[in-house]
Amino acid sequence: MLETDIRNPIPSNGGDWITKFGDSWKTQIAQLKTKFGNAIEEVRMLPEYPTDVPIVYVKKTSIIDVLGFVKTEPGFEYDFLADITATDEEIEPRFEIVYNLYSLPRKWRFRLKVRLAEGEEIPTACGVWAGANWAEREIFDMFGVRFTGHPDLRRILMDVRWVGHPLRKDYPLRGYQIFPTAEPINTDILK
Amino acid sequence: MSKDGSANFFTTKLDVLISWGRKNALWPLPFGTSCCGIEMMASLCSDYDMSRFGAEVVRFSPRQSDLLIVAGIINSKMAPVLRSVYDQMSDPKWVMSFGACASSGGIFNVYSVTQGIDTILPVDIYVPGCPPAPEGVINALMRLQEKIVAGETHSQRREKLAQGATQSATQSAKG
Repeated sequence: MLETDIRNPIPSNGGDWITKFGDSWKTQIAQLKTKFGNAIEEVRMLPEYPTDVPIVYVKKTSIIDVLGFVKTEPGFEYDFLADITATDEEIEPRFEIVYNLYSLPRKWRFRLKVRLAEGEEIPTACGVWAGANWAEREIFDMFGVRFTGHPDLRRILMDVRWVGHPLRKDYPLRGYQIFPTAEPINTDILK
Repeated sequence: MSKDGSANFFTTKLDVLISWGRKNALWPLPFGTSCCGIEMMASLCSDYDMSRFGAEVVRFSPRQSDLLIVAGIINSKMAPVLRSVYDQMSDPKWVMSFGACASSGGIFNVYSVTQGIDTILPVDIYVPGCPPAPEGVINALMRLQEKIVAGETHSQRREKLAQGATQSATQSAKG
């Protein structure tokens, strides 16, 4: 048993995902397309597009419905929000909000993306996953994207006196802002 | 007095005596935030043994320490913390900027890192290196001791300025 394990080691990512989960992903995407129709803008997947997991672009208005659907629906069961992050593409629509999902029982992954123009708001995912709270605060802090309905949209990493959002592409690389005095204490969070 | 009647004492200036005492009893506060902290620990341990220079009593309270050793990167979120630690230390106090990151930001030339701790507090001695070797630390400590004897550190200059200000104030009040 041990020798077999050494000769055929299982990679840490669980092996070749596309051979393992490719058919399941295809049925899932077809199911999403029939359920949400025009809300699914674009699908990127191997072999046409070089990516490890399928990327599904969803319209902003129905992202919360899609997230709730793939969380609970049998056959999907993406019950774990690995991360929410964002990218600045510099061209309009400028931002992409990325939802990285993982299924604890099935061990498969999924990626949903939403395109956002400059100054546009996106509904919060805190209702679906409570863990989205801090991830969305980080996106707000780093990119200045606002989340409608977020319970506590404050800066999470940078100083409260910071001007600008440092991970935007137009933020200067050496835009140092050094504050020698301590951050003013927010007494609201103690209540 | 000795048996033969010669004087068995020596005279010195009070300033020299005080600075001799200060330079041989530097109690460091280790503000180690990165890999430089490991080298600082090595220079405190038995191989290099900073206690030969009277600097082995590491205190983690700013109230009890003289020498602030900033060993490592200070990012902008940490800058106010470092400044408040410095403010809490009692005079006379000295600051050693340990390594490239603390002295100039090092390789981290980005928005989130202070480009040298001298932007937020006065630094008496810089130690180059990434990280510096313990020999460099001991060299810096000996240089700092020379500066303390000469009265050229920031803390001592402030002290002299304050004394001068009070003296001139009393003189003008008398006159």
